[in-house]
Amino acid sequence: MVKSAVMDGLTVREVCVEADTGSGLPVFHMVGYLSSEVKEAGERVRTAIRHTRARLQPQRMVVNLSPADIRKTGASFDLPIAVALALSAGSIMDRCEKRVLFIGELSLDARIRKVRGILPIVSYARENGYEICVVPWENETEGKLVSGIEVVGAATLSEVWNFLETGERPVRKQQAAKVRDRDKSELDFADIKGQSGLKRASEVAAAGGHNILYLGPPGSGKTMAAQRLQTILPDLDARTGMEVTTIYSAAGLLDEAQPLLIRPPYREVHHTVTKAALLGGGRYPTPGELSLAHGGILFLDELSEYQRTVLDALREPLETKQVRITRKKGTYIFPADVLVAAAMNPCPCGNYPDLERCRCTPGEIHRYLGKVSQPFLDRMDICIETPKISYGELTCEKQEESSGTIRERVLRARKIQKKRYREREMLTNSRMGRKEIEEFCCLEEKEKQMIERAFERLNLTARTYYKTLKVARTIADLEGSGQIRTNHLAEAISYRMVDQTIWGNQKR
Amino acid sequence: MSKEEEFVFWLACIQGISSSKKRLLQETFGCAKAVYYIEETGRKSCWFLTEKEKAALKEHQKEAVLDERKRVWEKARKKGIKLTYWTDSAYPEKLSRIVQPPYALFGAGKECFAFEGVTAAIVGAREASAYGRQMTYEYGRELAKAGMNIISGMARGIDAAGLEGALLEGKGHCAVLGSGVDVCYPKDNQRLYQRLWEDGRILSEYPPGTPPLARNFPPRNRIISGLADVVLVMEARKRSGSLITADFALEQGKDVYALPGPVTSDLSRGCHQLIRQGAGILVSPEEFLCDLPYKLQKSLIEFCKNPVKNSNENEIMLESPEKLLYSVLSLEPKNIQEIEDQLSLPRGEIMEALLNLEMNGWIQEVSKNDYIRLK
Repeated sequence: MVKSAVMDGLTVREVCVEADTGSGLPVFHMVGYLSSEVKEAGERVRTAIRHTRARLQPQRMVVNLSPADIRKTGASFDLPIAVALALSAGSIMDRCEKRVLFIGELSLDARIRKVRGILPIVSYARENGYEICVVPWENETEGKLVSGIEVVGAATLSEVWNFLETGERPVRKQQAAKVRDRDKSELDFADIKGQSGLKRASEVAAAGGHNILYLGPPGSGKTMAAQRLQTILPDLDARTGMEVTTIYSAAGLLDEAQPLLIRPPYREVHHTVTKAALLGGGRYPTPGELSLAHGGILFLDELSEYQRTVLDALREPLETKQVRITRKKGTYIFPADVLVAAAMNPCPCGNYPDLERCRCTPGEIHRYLGKVSQPFLDRMDICIETPKISYGELTCEKQEESSGTIRERVLRARKIQKKRYREREMLTNSRMGRKEIEEFCCLEEKEKQMIERAFERLNLTARTYYKTLKVARTIADLEGSGQIRTNHLAEAISYRMVDQTIWGNQKR
Repeated sequence: MSKEEEFVFWLACIQGISSSKKRLLQETFGCAKAVYYIEETGRKSCWFLTEKEKAALKEHQKEAVLDERKRVWEKARKKGIKLTYWTDSAYPEKLSRIVQPPYALFGAGKECFAFEGVTAAIVGAREASAYGRQMTYEYGRELAKAGMNIISGMARGIDAAGLEGALLEGKGHCAVLGSGVDVCYPKDNQRLYQRLWEDGRILSEYPPGTPPLARNFPPRNRIISGLADVVLVMEARKRSGSLITADFALEQGKDVYALPGPVTSDLSRGCHQLIRQGAGILVSPEEFLCDLPYKLQKSLIEFCKNPVKNSNENEIMLESPEKLLYSVLSLEPKNIQEIEDQLSLPRGEIMEALLNLEMNGWIQEVSKNDYIRLK
């Protein structure tokens, strides 16, 4: 009996491969609730074995993959089936006494091809008492991210035979597991000329993990800023890094040479995205863009163009930080702790509030903003308008601040937050609930007066009030101030969401 | 009398016969009731009616039509809608002197057809800048304070701002609609409409229930200018409906004033064109009032209880950085980003000062994070 494993959502399930050869008509049967790619493995495996020193006689062969009630999908069963067949036919002797797990796809000429989901499967193997994992050699570096288990990378089926019979590991020039280099990214906040408000708001968003909405005319740097938001986020911590790498491994998106992700991911989705592509889905659910952005940034450009149902579906995962997909077989949970950055134009023509160029009527502007669901906008902590950029700013020679400098400030603020929430299940200010806000955002008399007046004057809602306090807390952290001061509050107020009663009314 | 009103309403509702021909009919036959009862020979004697118009008239002379009209009018009357017509004693005299006066005029509000004293029309573009709206609002208030009646079209933007300013001071200000008086258009101005119904008046030459048809709007401008003694154009693009009003005013021999704006502003181009053609320049409400022709000045004084006074109350000291900020702001809206670039102060400090200024009424946030100064 040969052991292998299959991904079901993000969880790993063990699969046993049994093979029986014996007298009878020379037929080949495979059973065990197989998808068509697994059924086809039979042809690949028999041809591949023919290209090694092992021989299969024309006999009756039956292969069974158990347990029979889970669906076997993917191409990673080729290798375990081949091993099971060769052992059962007696052409290869198993002298390895350890518990081994096999994963890999075969080509007809007996080479072993890379597969998805190595990292979660190897971690599963370690936790379940396996001592060795035989994986495709291209996936070796990824497998070796897991410590405490031996990972053998095999390039051909013959190498696997050798390993089984003599215990000899294939020798190959090793690549050390490297981490993805930050400096490889060429994006930098210094590329954006002027727009100090935009940068400042991005900094606050990164420091507190606040969702941010950029609102401005075309070409004002909204997309540029969102793409650079990633460069000022701190590295992922070990746990999140592993989670992210696991998701990417399951999706087959890892870089062979540098599999471990330590930089927060950045995912940009087009506005035609479907609910299933964004949240994950399918009959056998796979993670969507939202989960691929776990620990990093999900950027929604042209927010007003998204289908309302798609944005509304995002609401719940944004609160709970995970996607739950329920199928008849059970519930699949994908992590989804993301910072949402969104960008949209302020009106149909994009130029409001510049009345020289904007001729949209107030009604049109209201309708345009109304396209985005209000509950979704409520989940945006920061809203920053980006005025159009002048020629002078564009050609200005002034050296703009680099992402590195900004990131250092962000890191300092994050450190303060980490210390503050060390006894809680959260890392950033944006996760504060009402209880935490009352505990950590207490105001002194002067500040209380100010927010009270602003509350009345600006018609703030309770939700806006709490959001403002959270953002003010982050601004104070950026400054290293233990107490929230009036200038922190005032800045936070300037980041409030555009209010439909005032936005667009300049024309009335 | 009420009998006659019903027939006037019936005549006013006939589509296909112009206002001037209805007036002729009324003059020829003495009253609307007589028009209703004319027979074939009578219709034949109306040399000014075309065959088509005669047919329309005949069509409407059916008893069922009259009954229907009576019912509608009764309903409208109960709502408080009033009616005056050509040759009626309540018909505004000013209106009878213009070319093409309307045959009938519907109105709501107290003494809605009385136009004594001085009436100023404040008109302008629907898409107005913050500057235009702010100035209009102030002119509306100041002129109303000086005792003038303000009249406008109640469109979005300038028209509404002028009336809103005027309603702060006194009653009797007037909107002339392009729909029936019981139809509020545009819907955004519902509140203003309500207040005009209570404290001001609403006029229209179209029968109650008429929807706001695009073709109704240019003709109603002649009523606005006709009822006004002086017309103020606050903001208008080069081809704006407000310029139609100004043209009517010139035809009717009324004075036209225009508010200058930045020469770069598209929204002020129409005003500048008027100024070039010789319109008066609006510098301040005080100067405008002093500049009025003698006749108007006199009637203003006669009707005015509170005379013009020059106020200089705005000399309150501001503390910096509020002072600095205030000096940077103008009547053009400025985004906090621009202020930040100009002053190079941290955003938090600027916002704090802006909030303080706004709460004390020195500046106004016209759009999120866009500010103008008020005083």
